Amino acid sequence: MKYITGRAAMALLFLCMLTANCLGSADYDQLFRRSSDLMAQGDLDGALALLKQVPAPAAGADGSAFVSSRMQAARIHAAQNETDKALADCREVLKVFPDNSEARNLLAAMEREQRAPWATFLADCLRFLPSLAKGAMMTLLLVLCTMLVSPLGGLLIALGRLSRFRPLSGCCWFVIWFFRGTPLLLQLFFIYYGLPSLGITLAPMTAAVIGLGLNYSAYLGEIIRGAIQSIDHGQMEAAKAIGMTYGQAMRRVIIPQTYKRLMPPVGNEFIALIKDTALVSTIAMVELMRSADQLFNTYFNVTALVLAAAIYLLLTTIFTFVFEKIEYRAGIYEHR
Amino acid sequence: MNIANVPLLDLKGITKRFKTLTAVDGVDLQVFPGEKLVIIGPSGSGKSTLLRSINLLDEPDEGVIRFDGQEVGYVTRHGRRHLDRPKAICALRTEIGMVFQHFHLFPHMTVLGNVMEGPLTVQRKPAVEARKIAEDMLAKVGLSDKRDVYPATLSGGQKQRVAIARALAMRPKLMLFDEPTSALDPELVGEVFDAIHTLAVEGMTMIIVTHHMGFARELADRVIFMEGGRFLDQGTPQEFFGNEQGNERIRNFLNRLM
Repeated sequence: MKYITGRAAMALLFLCMLTANCLGSADYDQLFRRSSDLMAQGDLDGALALLKQVPAPAAGADGSAFVSSRMQAARIHAAQNETDKALADCREVLKVFPDNSEARNLLAAMEREQRAPWATFLADCLRFLPSLAKGAMMTLLLVLCTMLVSPLGGLLIALGRLSRFRPLSGCCWFVIWFFRGTPLLLQLFFIYYGLPSLGITLAPMTAAVIGLGLNYSAYLGEIIRGAIQSIDHGQMEAAKAIGMTYGQAMRRVIIPQTYKRLMPPVGNEFIALIKDTALVSTIAMVELMRSADQLFNTYFNVTALVLAAAIYLLLTTIFTFVFEKIEYRAGIYEHR
Repeated sequence: MNIANVPLLDLKGITKRFKTLTAVDGVDLQVFPGEKLVIIGPSGSGKSTLLRSINLLDEPDEGVIRFDGQEVGYVTRHGRRHLDRPKAICALRTEIGMVFQHFHLFPHMTVLGNVMEGPLTVQRKPAVEARKIAEDMLAKVGLSDKRDVYPATLSGGQKQRVAIARALAMRPKLMLFDEPTSALDPELVGEVFDAIHTLAVEGMTMIIVTHHMGFARELADRVIFMEGGRFLDQGTPQEFFGNEQGNERIRNFLNRLM
């Protein structure tokens, strides 16, 4: 049965070749329909032969029949696992219509399948890296700004908490209580979406630095207070005994001794900060997380997320080593 | 010994209470320039608290402190007694050196840095001058070769000598020693004793709180025995350690130490 229809198709093909030169666009449509019929009957070879008769259109002529027939052929070839032929069909279309998205997508999909998985992964990485790198720079900028602001805020909060002036220590207690006790996401939403209703509109970057800065100041405040209180009380007495004021004693004697003790918990906080910056993607900032999310939603390609994870790990690893180094240097006077 | 008639330090009715405990109970004390005073007594008798009240590291609840002719530490406003301004208290402390039982050197500064710190930060002397003073003081306690190391590398005796140099760098008129040898291994006591002895010979006025009878015997002009926040007895070392010690309580205490 298949053999007979095959022969019939060959005869038909021969007939068509004779008349090919004088066929109009309507006739091509006819040809296309007939090939579809053949396909429905299971005669793929026959259908292909018909489809191949549609020539490339002359410049300026309507090429829709050509495109649909070649793409149809490509799909048949692809289904038959004749990838080379399918690729050739796609390229034929692209030669005439370089912007044809159907041909390009099919070509890209088949090319991806042809390559080894790791090569695909690398190609995707290269494709995503530029926009992820841009996002990572934003994340890094945000982290650095917060790292600049929050230790200062934290020191003020810590000194305030240690003050014997009750209203001041009470205020600082309240700030810590509030910013540690509510989600960072909520604080960011409030600053970016809530403050405009009070007449204060902030750029995303400003809102993000304020939000992260306040939140991390609260945490660092408690860490710094703990470090100050962990310094032997005798140090303050010795400083006072040579006539130092409270401020001089803090600046020259107490606080320099806290650096070494601060490094492990502060390193922890700053590593947490790198990851917490992902939350600002919710307030219209395009940082690393947002970039990865956008790529993932455009290409449905997990590679974007994997690459983003790798960049986060790279950043946290660098921070880990830098903080270990600083901790060593800060405690050098304790080495015997 | 040239002891003038005007006391350098004059305490009247000093009282310090901690919650229910009265650590110092109405103590009167006069210390004359050049005098070496040694206070002994059992633990918890208020010796250290009295010493710390003098430079207001502990703030006495009652009493008057006169230092160098001036009433210090407290002012009376609207009939109420207030602690003086921090500036005034800091100024007082620059004239009174203090050495602690546990040294309390600044661990993040070198030996030279520790000794320079007072002149540099408190007296705001130029670095060159502060360094010169610090080097002189270190030479005095025999630690010039240790000037660039951190305190963590020093022995206890060396640390205490650095602490003495640090106090001396402020050129104090009065030195307070709060059990300066109690945290030291016995073989290290000698070097600290020698440093303090040198100072005594130079005529420094000093009050030493100690359990080390050598100070009382060899260095003191006057020995005070303190118990329960009061002075039980005072006298010259000869009177104190001689056979005619009349107070049974003190005799028992001294016998236990011997």
